[in-house]
Amino acid sequence: MWRYTFKRLLQGVITVWFIATATFAAMHLVPGDPLASDKAVSEEIRANLEAKYGLNEPVWKQYTIYLGNLAQGDFGISFTQKNRLVNDIIREHFPVSATLGLLAVLFAGLGGVIWGALTALYRNRLPDIIIMFLVILGISVPSFVVAAFGQLGLVSLNNLAGFNVLPVGGWGTVAHMLVPAMVLGLSTMAYLTRLMRSSMLEIVSSDFVRTAKAKGLPPTRIFTAHQLRNAVLPVITVLGPAIAAITTGGFVVELVFAIPGLGRYFVEAVQQLDYTVIMGTTVFYGAFLVFMVIAVDVIYGFIDPRVRLE
Amino acid sequence: MAEPTYTPEFATDAFEPLHIHERKHGTTRPSLSYWQDAWLRLRDNKRALISLYLVVGLLLFTLFGPLFWNVSPSVQDLDQVSKPPWASREAVIVAPYTLWHGETTTPSGSGLRTATPPNTQAVRLLWDPVPGATGGYRIYRNVFPINAQQAYGLPLGEQFDPNATYFEDRLDLKARDYYYTLVPLDDNGIELADATTLEVTVRNAITVQGALERGLVDADSNVEVGGRVTLKFHPLGTDYLGRDMLARLMHGARVSLFIGMVAPLLYVLLGVIYGAAAGFLGGRADALLMRFADFVVALPFLLFMILFKIMFGIGPGESGIMPMLIAMVILSWPATSRLVRGQILQIREEGYINASRLLGANTTYLIMRHMIPNTMGVILVTITFAVPTAIFTEAFLSFIGMGVAPPTPSWGSMCNEGIKTMLTTPHELIFPAMFISLTVLAFNLLGDGLRDALDARIRNIE
Amino acid sequence: MADPVLSVKNLAVEFDTYGGTVQAVRGVDFDVERGKTLAIVGESGCGKSVTVQSIMGLTPMPPGRITSGSAMMGDIDIIGRKTINGEDIRGSQIGMIFQDPMTSLNPTMNIGSQIAETLIVHRGYSSKQAFARAIELLDMSKIPEAAKRAKQYPFEFSGGMLQRAMIAMAIACEPPILIADEPTTALDVTIQAQILDLLMELQRNNGMSIILITHDLGVVARMAEHVLVMYAGQIVEHGPVDEIFYRSGHPYTMGLRAAMPTNDPNAEQRLTPIDGSPPDLFHPPVGCGYFARCPHAMRICAEQPPQAHQLSAAHAAKCWLHHEANTQQVAQINLRDHAGEEPS
Repeated sequence: MWRYTFKRLLQGVITVWFIATATFAAMHLVPGDPLASDKAVSEEIRANLEAKYGLNEPVWKQYTIYLGNLAQGDFGISFTQKNRLVNDIIREHFPVSATLGLLAVLFAGLGGVIWGALTALYRNRLPDIIIMFLVILGISVPSFVVAAFGQLGLVSLNNLAGFNVLPVGGWGTVAHMLVPAMVLGLSTMAYLTRLMRSSMLEIVSSDFVRTAKAKGLPPTRIFTAHQLRNAVLPVITVLGPAIAAITTGGFVVELVFAIPGLGRYFVEAVQQLDYTVIMGTTVFYGAFLVFMVIAVDVIYGFIDPRVRLE
Repeated sequence: MAEPTYTPEFATDAFEPLHIHERKHGTTRPSLSYWQDAWLRLRDNKRALISLYLVVGLLLFTLFGPLFWNVSPSVQDLDQVSKPPWASREAVIVAPYTLWHGETTTPSGSGLRTATPPNTQAVRLLWDPVPGATGGYRIYRNVFPINAQQAYGLPLGEQFDPNATYFEDRLDLKARDYYYTLVPLDDNGIELADATTLEVTVRNAITVQGALERGLVDADSNVEVGGRVTLKFHPLGTDYLGRDMLARLMHGARVSLFIGMVAPLLYVLLGVIYGAAAGFLGGRADALLMRFADFVVALPFLLFMILFKIMFGIGPGESGIMPMLIAMVILSWPATSRLVRGQILQIREEGYINASRLLGANTTYLIMRHMIPNTMGVILVTITFAVPTAIFTEAFLSFIGMGVAPPTPSWGSMCNEGIKTMLTTPHELIFPAMFISLTVLAFNLLGDGLRDALDARIRNIE
Repeated sequence: MADPVLSVKNLAVEFDTYGGTVQAVRGVDFDVERGKTLAIVGESGCGKSVTVQSIMGLTPMPPGRITSGSAMMGDIDIIGRKTINGEDIRGSQIGMIFQDPMTSLNPTMNIGSQIAETLIVHRGYSSKQAFARAIELLDMSKIPEAAKRAKQYPFEFSGGMLQRAMIAMAIACEPPILIADEPTTALDVTIQAQILDLLMELQRNNGMSIILITHDLGVVARMAEHVLVMYAGQIVEHGPVDEIFYRSGHPYTMGLRAAMPTNDPNAEQRLTPIDGSPPDLFHPPVGCGYFARCPHAMRICAEQPPQAHQLSAAHAAKCWLHHEANTQQVAQINLRDHAGEEPS
């Protein structure tokens, strides 16, 4: 298991290198001089940047400088904001996105497992039909529409109540996080519910559940010890990609709810063509996702004995 | 089961042996081909069938809709801006605008009141001087009734002269209800408590010249101030620039469905070729190809879509559809290639391939007769499920302003525009959002149905 | 028959499917004698498994439905019941093992715990006691290093070992009846013999009755005292094992025998398959279910369902050939080389 973990981590590092290289390549294929397009850069900053990134050097030299900086965890300096390091920007805004994402993943995971198990148990009966209808809706409605209606709901709620039950936007307290996290987790929850449902249905009709029944176990014990545990496993395997979906989905939610997260910052940076911030954020997100997927796989290995002992 | 009753007497030939041909083998059923069977099963799936009709309907809407609703998606109807479809199209003909300084034709009345009938040309407010309003007045406008929180809405302006008890509002007026609030100010410009609110219903207004210019009335017909005309018809209303929503939705559908259907076709094709190559080559080449696919999978998808968009750049007059298509193909093929490779590897091991080979089949025959038909189902299902993803991606990118460039409508960019006025004119968001959701829903259900129909294994679970 | 542990009368089971209602079991009667083995044979889909699973309450309902019948243990009908005198029927009165041991055990729970679970639930053992007993049971089922094996997971076991573990689990509460639903079908031949030996040894030691479901006549010959032959949801013939083999009364049983290889070097017979497939149980035939495939079919067979004809004290067959009005010599048909019969 430890060897497996180590192997995965090594693969992860190589993957991050690939992401960094692809990012570098993409940004260097941008037509024109990145500095020339930006009027806000003063002569002073320009000189600094040129020295730091070796912008007058050949591309391969720039690439080695870039990789060297990355290896030291240095993402560079912002183009548009004076004296601001990309590292600072990430340090400041990422925790917000991460908190929001974590809440959303929790919401999506718990909701998905509970609703999925429920629909499987009530298969083809009213609760199943209602929940699956909502799930199909959740999968089919784009995240920004959900976000918009979430905000609309908040406004109407506050109007109805006559005071601010929950803040409509912004960041800071748990009250700020609640609705955005739910909005962000919704489509993933819908997806996980579907997955959990089919997984649960497969388990319900599986041979070992029949064995458990033949043993005369009470239904609650069959549900907890035999069905739930096995049905949750496939849900855990997709948590990695689900985290990725939620993290990038965060862009929209952060925009709509005015949350000072990294996603919103990234969109702003793109609009201002702040190249170092774009590159830094992309590589950072890429690395984060790669290691999240690895973390989920390793955790899965500890839960499923079949993987653990391989 | 109850014991059957016996006839005590038997016919004379009852115990006569029957020849094999006299017995009907009622046990065999006509055999169906894979695709026939799949189609029969799909046809029985009501949800999938409705989705199929919906998809066909959407395609007809996109391709032939503009033939029937021949309105340009970029023409602005300035008389009807952000107009929901249910709003009144009746307009009052008014005289050309003239300046106003508090003169009134209706001197009667007290408190906050309108001086002339309120219409979209101007809302003219009059009030009686408020004692203590030494610093003048401030006027607010809200589209919602004033609630307990005393949110008056948009501050329109101030009258610093306490005796100037009039105000004219010409700011972006729509034919709807407004709530005007008058707040008296003290010497220091601080708002006093005794605010008064007036509900005003604003009507459409158009000048004679305007009506003629827009062809709402014939040049020779007799139109007078105070008469009524009917404004242009927009079945689904207009957007914030007065453009026809239906026309925009049709043209937007072309962009959204083009990307939504062409991109998956292209990248699934690329994935199939790549995956099949890896599966056939096997060994080291396979390992190398698949490792590269793993790398591409690891790239954060949306970030790279944005990165590519910056990389390709969008020149003036370009819509940005092609760069998005290319970026999507570059980033999305690995999932299909993995799937196809897995299928090929699996099929290669199947007994019938060996059997076929033993009977002298060559590779081309094996691919054409066995490999392709057996992976076709999986590929078809993949494409169907890829369509909603691609539509979402387009919508998402256009929504954050990284997709299709502005004058070109797409469902995503329409949502982006609509969300800004969501609270006042929700139809601008709801219609494009509904189209995206319906399309995605249809393709998802169709995908479910296809998967169930094509995959006998899964059939029994759902 | 004296003192049966389980007596099933007129059991009928239906399933609602999208294609209509399937009459999977159409009136089945049998007795299980104490300490003896009853074999139920027949091809796939003939209703063997559905019969025993309905008795155990394992058929999913809906879509399944028991339309008639009773299964008496003593004087209590266990159909639709969970307990007898406070004891659970499943697990403590009837144990059951299944065809595919690889999928019949929970993949994420260790073997010992899966056996211990039964004891905790039915016998009220503490988890420690139960685990210790589970190790003993594994040992009884001839699993080497039982203490170590008990902590392992199903995927670490071979198929044969898993079936032993299944047996240990099924007999944990010493039920008077053990149902073995094709216990050796998924195993290779050498392992099969070991599993059958284990079952017989356990039966000798604790005197339980075994209901053995199989389509392997070799297994029947080795294990069973009494045999039921099922076809299209009905019992077409039943009797003591020797009579079934040597004096088959139903053409289907004869067909099964002809399709079975023998190890008699003098017998120069080819294996003869039974042509065709079983009837559509959405619309069961009016007459005999085997009519369409029977080499001895007569006009009457298509028109009226045959009644059971007693061939000896414990041997009966549902076939018109045995009716007194029939003038053909049944014994001759039976003795003739079955392979040469079919002209087609």
